[in-house]
Amino acid sequence: MLEAEGLITEDNIARVKDLLATMEAGNEAGVKEVLDELTHIRESDIYQEMGKLTRELHDAIKTFGMDDQIANITEHDIPDARARLKHVIDMTDKAANRTMDAVEESLPICAGMESRSSNLHEAWARFRQRDMDVNEFRELAQQLGTFLDENTIDAGKVRNSLNDILMAQDFQDLTSQIIKRVIALVEQVEDKLIGLVSLTSEQFDKTIEHKEKNGLEAAGPAVPGLDDAGVVSGQDEVDDLLSSLGF
Amino acid sequence: MKILVVDDFSTMRRIIKNLLRDLGFTNTAEADDGTTALPMLQNGDYDFLVTDWNMPGMQGIDLLKAVRADAKLANMPVLMVTAEQKREQIVEAAQAGVNGYIVKPFTALTLKEKLEKIFERIE
Repeated sequence: MLEAEGLITEDNIARVKDLLATMEAGNEAGVKEVLDELTHIRESDIYQEMGKLTRELHDAIKTFGMDDQIANITEHDIPDARARLKHVIDMTDKAANRTMDAVEESLPICAGMESRSSNLHEAWARFRQRDMDVNEFRELAQQLGTFLDENTIDAGKVRNSLNDILMAQDFQDLTSQIIKRVIALVEQVEDKLIGLVSLTSEQFDKTIEHKEKNGLEAAGPAVPGLDDAGVVSGQDEVDDLLSSLGF
Repeated sequence: MKILVVDDFSTMRRIIKNLLRDLGFTNTAEADDGTTALPMLQNGDYDFLVTDWNMPGMQGIDLLKAVRADAKLANMPVLMVTAEQKREQIVEAAQAGVNGYIVKPFTALTLKEKLEKIFERIE
């Protein structure tokens, strides 16, 4: 840290020669005096260097702290992003439940249509084979009439549910817009952090190894292209892995 | 057959319950993590456990281990339905005694196949 040539000066050479002479002369007090002088020269260099570093650090921190954008991001943008992401969760939750409501309404309607159709099938088959008397035919005709009426009503209900399912998908557009804004904010924060890291460390090592998470910690859904290492690509690979373990 | 479905997301519990109902399993109950599920299992008469892995409180893998360590529950079939898809995790679940492992997103057919396979082995 200290400049070597800054120490090798004629003055210092004279001091060292003086030290040697004083030692050879057996002058204890004299030796101490020269040594103190030399130590002082060395210490003042260190203090100067430390002072310079402190000033630089202080300036850097000041510049960084005075950046309005950072203050704004911290005080406003990040809480705002958090609230927006929460809103995304709420919207997707609502859409999923709205879809499932519509499906749960339609399933018994479909089951009803199915059972009414299969009830009629047998009678219809006998009619086609002309294996039916007039009274039975009258009954069948009445059943058919009811069947058509009910089916018209039920098909309308299912169509409404399907439309509702369709409309519930509008969250995708809205949530994408919100998430894109949050991604833009993350990019801004990244820029600022890179600035901070390079201010505080001259040797910002871009190849710092990504610290691997403990394999048994829950990692959440794997994202293709990001979490490919050590991850199965789907159910088939899970099944292969389990069968290799004797499952 | 009484089934307990454990997942921290109500939508996923609802999907699984609907799929189970479609397969003829109408007697189901829900819990949102291992901490609530374990006493339900210990005090109830459940025959089957379907659990997620990643949940707040007690995780699914710890619930599985607790079930296997409990004399009364040790033989209960456990099916994991989870987004966790690291090989080490699947091995860990297998070693802990899981009976089936389904990764999300999954299909109704996958659930049907895994359930059938589990019942086949039990019989």
